[in-house]
Amino acid sequence: MARIELKGLRKVFGRNIEAVKNLDFTIEEGEFVVIVGPSGCGKTTTLRMVAGFEEPTAGEIAIDGRLVNDVDPGDRGVGMVFQTHALFPHKTIAENIEFGPRMKKVPPETRKQKVREVADMVRITHLLHKLPVECSGGEAQRAALARTLITDPAAFLLDEPLSSLDAKLRREMRAEIDRLHEELKKTFVYVTHDQEEAMTLADRIVVMRDGVIEQVGTPLEIYTDPVSYFVADFFGSPSMNLIAGKVESSNGAAAFSGAGIEFKLPDAYAGVSSGDYTLGVRPEHVVVGSQEAAISCDVQLVEPLGKDTLLYFEHGAERPTIAIVEASDRFKAGEQLNVTFDPGHVYLFEPDGTRVR
Amino acid sequence: MNRVTKARLFTIFRYAMLFIWSVIVAFPIFWIVSTSFKPDWEWHAWPPVYWSKEASWVNYQAVWGRPESPRTATEEKTQTARYESASANKPWQALWNSLYIAITATALSVAFGAILAYGVSRYRILSEIRMFQLLVLRMIPPIVVAAPLTLYYSAIHLMDTALGLVIVYFITTLPYSVWMTKSFVDEVPVEIEQAAEILGATKWQAIREVVFPLIRSGIVATFLFILILTWSEYLLSLMLSKVDVVTLPVQLAKYEGSDEGRVYGHQAALAVGITLPLMIIGIFIRKHLVRGFTFGMVKR
Repeated sequence: MARIELKGLRKVFGRNIEAVKNLDFTIEEGEFVVIVGPSGCGKTTTLRMVAGFEEPTAGEIAIDGRLVNDVDPGDRGVGMVFQTHALFPHKTIAENIEFGPRMKKVPPETRKQKVREVADMVRITHLLHKLPVECSGGEAQRAALARTLITDPAAFLLDEPLSSLDAKLRREMRAEIDRLHEELKKTFVYVTHDQEEAMTLADRIVVMRDGVIEQVGTPLEIYTDPVSYFVADFFGSPSMNLIAGKVESSNGAAAFSGAGIEFKLPDAYAGVSSGDYTLGVRPEHVVVGSQEAAISCDVQLVEPLGKDTLLYFEHGAERPTIAIVEASDRFKAGEQLNVTFDPGHVYLFEPDGTRVR
Repeated sequence: MNRVTKARLFTIFRYAMLFIWSVIVAFPIFWIVSTSFKPDWEWHAWPPVYWSKEASWVNYQAVWGRPESPRTATEEKTQTARYESASANKPWQALWNSLYIAITATALSVAFGAILAYGVSRYRILSEIRMFQLLVLRMIPPIVVAAPLTLYYSAIHLMDTALGLVIVYFITTLPYSVWMTKSFVDEVPVEIEQAAEILGATKWQAIREVVFPLIRSGIVATFLFILILTWSEYLLSLMLSKVDVVTLPVQLAKYEGSDEGRVYGHQAALAVGITLPLMIIGIFIRKHLVRGFTFGMVKR
């Protein structure tokens, strides 16, 4: 098990491309941390610095209290699974898995035994004699997991391991990784740009943007209590409705208006000063067909998803406002409906993206 | 005309074209082999003789068969003896010279090229512009360097030495080996190497266990390509050798302007000897060649 500490970590590529800016963060023992963010946010660079493939421009990396800045990747006691599985194409799956122990001069009998064990663990015993090209994407990624498992690392670093798989396989492998974490109780650091993977896997999510940490929290905290427009927009599928407009504040009451919407803000926002704001509300908190209306407009599109149905309202906002309602045939495209928002679950963002609290 | 007929006609046309092209390519080779077995009166005969009815090993004996013994006075002016002066420059010696000069220079070039290529591919030790300059060096006409080299070689006593030729071949082929090998190293994803390293392999182990096996075919292909270049190089060899290190291509030319006229039969017999080693090597490593020359073109 390993506790990974990042102190003042910084990485500059070339002369002035600052990929990671002053990162301070500690990953606790046995924790499953997902670093998430759009491409170019510095998440992969951070992981690669922990692995030892990139040298930090400044700052310290410590694993279990030991400073590892100058330690080779192979001696850091971490294992890594790459986006492209990175199996050795000229070696069979068994030889691939055996590679780590062989490099560490483990005797052949012990090696064979351990190969069986880990292959069993990720259920690829039937593939051992095959070459990587003969395996499907999912099988190859399992083999890559086994190859890392056999070296018994203190921490697992996973760099978008599922992004080259199709949707169904991705879900399956996600569950597999979750199960492994439960079983091994080791530290997992997982990098992804997929918010859904982050939500389902993480004990703690680190949201990165432009080389800095935007927010750290449990999946629920991130979802229900985003610190900024960016985080609010990034998490959730379908994503949060974000409507640009104005707030008029007078006599201890504030009202939002924009894109045809007139909405009285809850008392929590009574103190905000007038000006430009963005109103945020998750699709599950859009109330349809109520007596009172923030806006009354046509359903542009009805999208049945099985259990739920999505309703799209076009009313002049940047994106159509989406509401999630229980599956039913009640709504027809073109129908005019009253739409309002659950006052307990609306967010307000400043023009610079910070959230009004 | 329906589609099936069209497609069939096109196939016929394609094979016809390929057949004609094969004939054009193969004919000179056939002609050399055929000539090498002809007696001297058939060399210039008109109409040309394609299949000699009097085929024999006489030309081969003249070129390859005889040790360098002094001619005896009693020796008749046999067909063999008449053209002896042209063969007197030791074809076996030339073969040996060519073999070890070409193989040594090629091995050096490929080995250094591979090391450089790895550095360029992984650590950008040469910028794009330097890599291009390296290739541009090859655009200098060899004759431009040949003359100055002759001067310097005389001064530092490298003239007419095997070392002298090895050096010049090593340097002139290095750009090719760097460029070719770099493209093979580029094809090996860096993650694979990093995977090996994080599993506990040293840099050297990662190269030996992972990178080298993956580019082996490419290196073999590069080796053969450069071997062909050095094996058949003529101009520099002609300028920088005199007596001791005459190579096969230079030897071959000696039959062309000899006092005896054009001794085609002997020349052909020597030419067959020049071509054969390359063909034998090619056959032995054809598995690697197919993989090496199609590397990167096939989706993996």
